[in-house]
This record gives sequence, C-alpha cells and structure tokens, in this order.
Amino acid sequence: MSAAIEIKGLSKHFGAKVAVNDVTFNVEEGHCYGLIGPNGAGKTTTFSMMCGFLFPTSGTIRVLGLDPTEPGVLKQKVGVLPQDAILPPMWPVGELLTYYGELSGLPNAESEAKAALERVQLPETWNVQAGALSHGMHKRVSMAQALMGSPPIIFLDEPTAGLDPKIAASVRGVIRDLKGKHTVVVSSHNLQELEELCDATAILDKGKLVSASTMAELTGQMAEFRVQIARGQVPIDELKALTGVKDAKVEANNVLCVSFDSVAVQPEEIITRAVGLLATKNVLFLTVWRGKRLEERVLALT
Amino acid sequence: MEDFSEIGAIWRGETRRALRSGRVLVLLILFLLFVGLALTVVGFFNHQLNAKFDQQMAMAGADLSQAREQLAAGKKQFLQTFVTEDPAMLDSLAAIPIVLLVVFKLTLRFLPLFIALMGFDQLAGEVGPKSVRYLVVRVKRSSIILGKLLSQVTLFAILMSICTVMMVMVAKVLNTEFAAADVALWTGKLIISSMVLSLAYLSLTALFSALVKQGGISLVLNVIALFVIWFVALIGEAVRFPGEVAAEGTLAMLKAESAFAYLRYASVWHFGDDLLHPHWGRFLTAALVHVGFGLAFLGLAQLALRRRDL
Repeated sequence: MSAAIEIKGLSKHFGAKVAVNDVTFNVEEGHCYGLIGPNGAGKTTTFSMMCGFLFPTSGTIRVLGLDPTEPGVLKQKVGVLPQDAILPPMWPVGELLTYYGELSGLPNAESEAKAALERVQLPETWNVQAGALSHGMHKRVSMAQALMGSPPIIFLDEPTAGLDPKIAASVRGVIRDLKGKHTVVVSSHNLQELEELCDATAILDKGKLVSASTMAELTGQMAEFRVQIARGQVPIDELKALTGVKDAKVEANNVLCVSFDSVAVQPEEIITRAVGLLATKNVLFLTVWRGKRLEERVLALT
Repeated sequence: MEDFSEIGAIWRGETRRALRSGRVLVLLILFLLFVGLALTVVGFFNHQLNAKFDQQMAMAGADLSQAREQLAAGKKQFLQTFVTEDPAMLDSLAAIPIVLLVVFKLTLRFLPLFIALMGFDQLAGEVGPKSVRYLVVRVKRSSIILGKLLSQVTLFAILMSICTVMMVMVAKVLNTEFAAADVALWTGKLIISSMVLSLAYLSLTALFSALVKQGGISLVLNVIALFVIWFVALIGEAVRFPGEVAAEGTLAMLKAESAFAYLRYASVWHFGDDLLHPHWGRFLTAALVHVGFGLAFLGLAQLALRRRDL
C-alpha cells in the first residue's frame, strides 16, 4: 500500500504562535485516517495545509505526490468539507452545487449535484437558499459538495460536530461507505466515532505529533483485551498460566486486563480460552473488548 | 484552455450571484437614479436657459444665427476655463450638448467610488466566512480573481451602457440640432471611454479585496487609495511645468511653475480626460495608461492572493 498523503517536518507559525510544530506522518491509500487532539492541538491547521488553504512555514506535504500549494493541482483529486466555511447564502443549494461541479470540471455537474444531495439525504433542499439551511443541513450540503465527482481523497473536518445523533449516524454511514474506495481524512473530537471509522490516526497536542499509528496499534487491540467482571473471584494465576498470556490483572471498576503475545497466539484464541476459564470458575462478566478504548489512549497521551 | 473554462465558469457564476444580490441591485438602481437626477437637474437648467435665450432673441428681433454663434463662443470659453485647454479637445467637446458633457463628466467623477462600493467584498467577502475554500480546491486562485473581475466588468458594461443611452437620449431631446450620426458616435465613444476608465479602478478594487479579510477594511483602504490617486493628480495639475507658457484667459495663468507638475503622470486620474480626446494617439495613450494601471493593480492582486493563507 502506498502513501496517498506524505507529511514531513510540517510547521505552521501565526506570528509568534506555533500552531503546528514539526509534524511527520503518512496516510496510506484507501485508509480512513483520523486527526485527533484537543482544542488548539493543530488539527484544523494541519488539515488546512493538506487542502492548500494555508501555506506551511516549513516542511513538506505531498497529496498524491503533488504539492497542494501549487495552483489548481488538487482539482478533481480532493473533496473537502472545511470546518466553519459558510456556503454563499444567496445561492439555491442545487445551483450552488452545480456551480461547484462546473468549477471542478465535471461533465455532468447537475446530475452529480443531485446524486451528492441524495447521498446526504437532502434532495428536498435543491431549491432552498444556502443561507436558509439549518446547521445540520448546512453541514450535510457541505459534505455533498465534497463527495461530488468521487475524488480519490476526501477531507472531512469535524463532519458530525453539532449534528443530532440520528443525522450524525447517517453521516457516519456515508463515511463508512467511502472506506476502501477513497482515502478519507477525518478530523473530529468524537473519539468513539473515530475509533469506529478509522484505520489509522495521528494524535496532535499543542501542535506536536504525539502518536501516528494504526488504530489497532494505538488501542493495543493486538496485545491486550479487557473483561468487565460482574461477580466472582478472578483466577489470576490460572489466567497467567494460559499459553501466550504475558500478564493478567484486575484494574479499577472490576475490569480484568489480560495482555498477550500476539505473535504466539491469535487474539480470538486467547480471548475464547480466557472467557471459557472464567465461565468454568463461575465468574460472571458483562462485556469483553479488545485493547484500550481510544479515549483512554488519547487522554493518556495528551 | 482549462484556465479559460475556469475563468468562464466563475464569471458566469459570479454574475448570476451579483444579479441576485440585493445589495448589488440596490447600488445599481441608486447609480441609475443618481444619473437620472443629474440629468433632470442639468437638463432642466439647460432647457430653461435655451427657452429664455430663444424668447429674448425673439423679443429683441435679433439675428438668431448670430446670437447662437455668440452662445457657442461663450460655451467654448466656459469649457476652456473649466474643462480643457487643448484646442482639439475643446472643438470636440463644444460640439456636444452641454447637458451630456456635464452629466457624463459628473458620472465619471463618481464612478471609481461606485466601483469600490460595488466590489469591495468580491474576495474579502469570501475570505472572512471562508467560502473561498470551496473554490480554491477546485480552481486556481488566479482564475478566481479574473473570473470575479470579469463579472464586475460585465455589470459595469451593462450599467454604463444604460446610463450613457439615458444621457444621450435626454441630450437629443433637449438639443434638436444634435444630429443622429453624432448621437451614435458619442454613444459609442462615451461607453468605450467609461469602460476603459473602469478597468483601472475595478482592478484597484480587486487588489484591496484580495489584500484583506474584512470587506469593511477593504472598502476603507480602497477609498483612501482613490483619495491618494485624486490628490496626486490634483497636486500635479495645480501647477505648471517649468517653462510652460499659459494661454490667455485660461486657469493655467494663475498656476505657478513647479517640478511637481510631473507628479500628475503618477496618477491614473490625470489621464481620464484624454479618453474623450478626438485624436486617436491621445485616446490610445490614455487607454493604454488605464490598461497599464489596471494590469499593475491586477498583478499585485494576483501576487497577494497567491501567497496568502485563506
């Protein structure tokens, strides 16, 4: 798999303020990639540099091998949902999307616009002025323009921020559909959402990269699992004696954590044997999950 | 080729948007009303003067053609004092009705300010709310500037054509001796000269709109720049060139000689009058100066937008 986006030593200064500081990571082709970090971490600045909106102070970015700051190179190659970018209010949505399609050089701009609106479940807004859309509708129309022409890379900055749960779920459904067919870069504060959608992530904090890895590596899915114990005495020594188990301990809130050697044993084998052992020892449990929650990892790293 | 299609798409889109925008429509209507008002006031006085003149001549039983010649000489003297000292230009302007000349000149004086009011937020208005980001991933930044400029040029071409036709029609009604051939000639000439004049100021407005994020700041800077352009021309024209001889009975006689006279060439405003010059050489020079200033402002706008964060 080759890198769709390569970022090397990227920095961005706004006067004396360093928004992004020497960040390096790659986004593999076909991956759904998450940009994670607290407010002011530099996610949107990094995102904006990848889209060619902002010029890096130093470092390089290559999007499909191209420098995004070069004029017009991203045409038909990327679709972007920028954060807080307002759609021109006087335009009817359909006409606006058709206009964007024409600017992208799409041969059937109007039908592309209609299809994109269908995809975000807003065909009824075709004749509605962009200025009259609610926040959620505005976000989805913005998403529709990013999907038009089916570009190989799609950037989504906070795609579900401020949306009600039902609409957010439908947006996540759209992103899930994009996986594998497009390279998708998603910036979000919703870690559960990113954990569910992303193959890999970069975690930023105060402008610096604190982690860039696959989701499985980040959450330790290949190295540990946890069991929420309801009742019973956990047989720690017997668990430790299982082949491939490196350690077993009960953490806070009665959560059993078992770490294992993923080279010696497959996760599904060790999890099945461990919960089997618990069952035979009359230990009742509620849930089993692999690795740590992304939220825990992010909180530990930032 | 792709650049042309991008520019064309932006031009069409922006023109549609401008025609749909309430503010632009209100400004266009206000400008038309301004021209209409100027025509009414100047036309009324012109009509009254003509009527009174004819009445007095009739009562005195004077030779009307001789009296008209005297009136034409008086008009020429007025033009020489207040408009131009150039003999060829004087003859040319003296041949058109005074109402047309006065209202057209008045319109041109306010045109740069009106252009600033119309276009100050063409780019700044998209950078602030970041809607420009939907464009820059699709087209070159240079295409955005050129497409928007072409849209403004189109609006002004329509506006100035309507205004000029209005002026010429009123002038024709008030001055029956204004021949049909002259009507056609001056209609074309006035439209062309106002469009050439607009190019420099449209580019200036594009420059300030490309420089800043807030539309309001863009407008203020634009108006300051217009004031500087006008003031530089004023200083340059308030004095005579060293060694220049002033003609009798002209305002030039009151002016002192100074090297500051060369300053007038630094201002595009100074060349505006020559856009009505009957000699092609003078007209072309003035037109080229306007296009040159326009290209310089446009080049700076391109440079500013190309290297700035959006």
